[in-house]
Amino acid sequence: MEFIKKNITLIVGISIPILMILFVAASIYLPGLFVQPKYNFVYVSGDDYYYYNQYQYSVQNGKLVKSEIQKPENQNYQPPREVKLYVHDVAKNESREVSFAEAQNLNLDSSNISPDGFEVTYGSRGDGFFPFFFWSDRDYNTRYLKGHNVSKKLNLQLSGSYYNNFRFIGWIK
Amino acid sequence: MATKEEVLQYIRTLAEQKVVTRDELTEAYDSGSGIKQDVVLTKKLGIAEILYYIGGAIVFLGISILLWQNWSTLGFGTKVLATLGAGIAAYFVGLLFSRDERTETAGSAFYLISVLVTPIGLWVVFDNAGFDASSYGSQSLISGIMLGTYLLSLFVFRKNVFTLFSILFGTWLFFSLTSWMVGGAPYFNDWKFYMYRVLVAGVAYMLMGYAFSKNERVPLSGFLYGFGILGFLGAALALGGWKPNQNVFWELIYPGLVFGALFLSVYVKSKAFLTWGTLFLMAYILKITSEYFSTGLGWPLALVIAGLAMIGVGYMSLSIKKKYLITQ
Repeated sequence: MEFIKKNITLIVGISIPILMILFVAASIYLPGLFVQPKYNFVYVSGDDYYYYNQYQYSVQNGKLVKSEIQKPENQNYQPPREVKLYVHDVAKNESREVSFAEAQNLNLDSSNISPDGFEVTYGSRGDGFFPFFFWSDRDYNTRYLKGHNVSKKLNLQLSGSYYNNFRFIGWIK
Repeated sequence: MATKEEVLQYIRTLAEQKVVTRDELTEAYDSGSGIKQDVVLTKKLGIAEILYYIGGAIVFLGISILLWQNWSTLGFGTKVLATLGAGIAAYFVGLLFSRDERTETAGSAFYLISVLVTPIGLWVVFDNAGFDASSYGSQSLISGIMLGTYLLSLFVFRKNVFTLFSILFGTWLFFSLTSWMVGGAPYFNDWKFYMYRVLVAGVAYMLMGYAFSKNERVPLSGFLYGFGILGFLGAALALGGWKPNQNVFWELIYPGLVFGALFLSVYVKSKAFLTWGTLFLMAYILKITSEYFSTGLGWPLALVIAGLAMIGVGYMSLSIKKKYLITQ
């Protein structure tokens, strides 16, 4: 007790950063315990703008459709990448590959924001080194489910680390 | 033999007559009470001491360049020996030198080498183990190991230099750990989050500086006050933002913070509080003038008002310094 009384300023000085660490931890992890996203979603991996793919997936009248893209002749395109469809289970935070036929049976909503107020966004990334921790950029390898002051890192099945390795298709209703 | 009250009254009289200074009294108290002052942080830097530190920094540069130029050709063992090995060896040489007062300052140059080189050694080890060594997670581990080492050293050897290193590595741990926890979470604005952390670190530094000003670690309080108030006022000013994205709360509260710093400069007898308080008050006047009054009053008139206000601030600062801090 005598020690605390004698060193109260030092103890408060050291406690403030520790309290901030606890506050940051609480603000990241606590809201996620009370707010749970409900809607799973479908996405495509490997559907890159820079590569010529034979098909383009989209949602029409709440159903997944596959449109064939005509390749212009006499132009050199990169060979097409393998495009895969996935369903992401938000409760388990894991993705499962599905066939086009399976995905076609799902009722989809292609809005950016889900009926319960969540959206899929990029994360930000800091690459700083002490004391330069303020530099940041979009992290194109990481996506977050964001809404109601909660963000959850998504474990997606993404092929490669290039720019357009993820394309959101729709929320499963 | 005079009583305690008589001695204290006599000191008061001498202080009023400006016959003794606070430093002389502290020195007399320390020599009587057996508190051994660190030569390293109390002694004024002479040419020899500066050369010691420059030498230490050059050794660090040499090791870094050796590693950078020969990264692909050197084996893991050689890299660890050149970095972690050199860092640990420098730490023990520093310990040996600091046993003797004549070589204590030279010892601190070896501590400097150790502080700079050991984290690189740990980085090499983590990199070889397959971790992304520059990630926030690895940085948290490296700074945590260094903080643990220097806290233990402080506990065993009771040297101010280890307090300083513990504070520096503790700050690194605070920043890297919070960055690692947040990761890429989109709700955290990186720039603002960084500023809030600088603000908190600044407050912590100032409080530690105040705590150390009353014990044998008093040489550290100047450094802590200086960096603490710089970080605190700088971060608060940056959090105010700029029109049209300004934060009204921080812009309104800022004059109170600056005048608080100026008031505290008298209370804690710190020139750093006065200097940074004055400079940031001037910066605030310029910021607010250019943000809000450059279009209404016209830029030239706004500049005249800002200039006059800055002369006033400068005069006030000098008056405070002469009246309250000149004896320090």
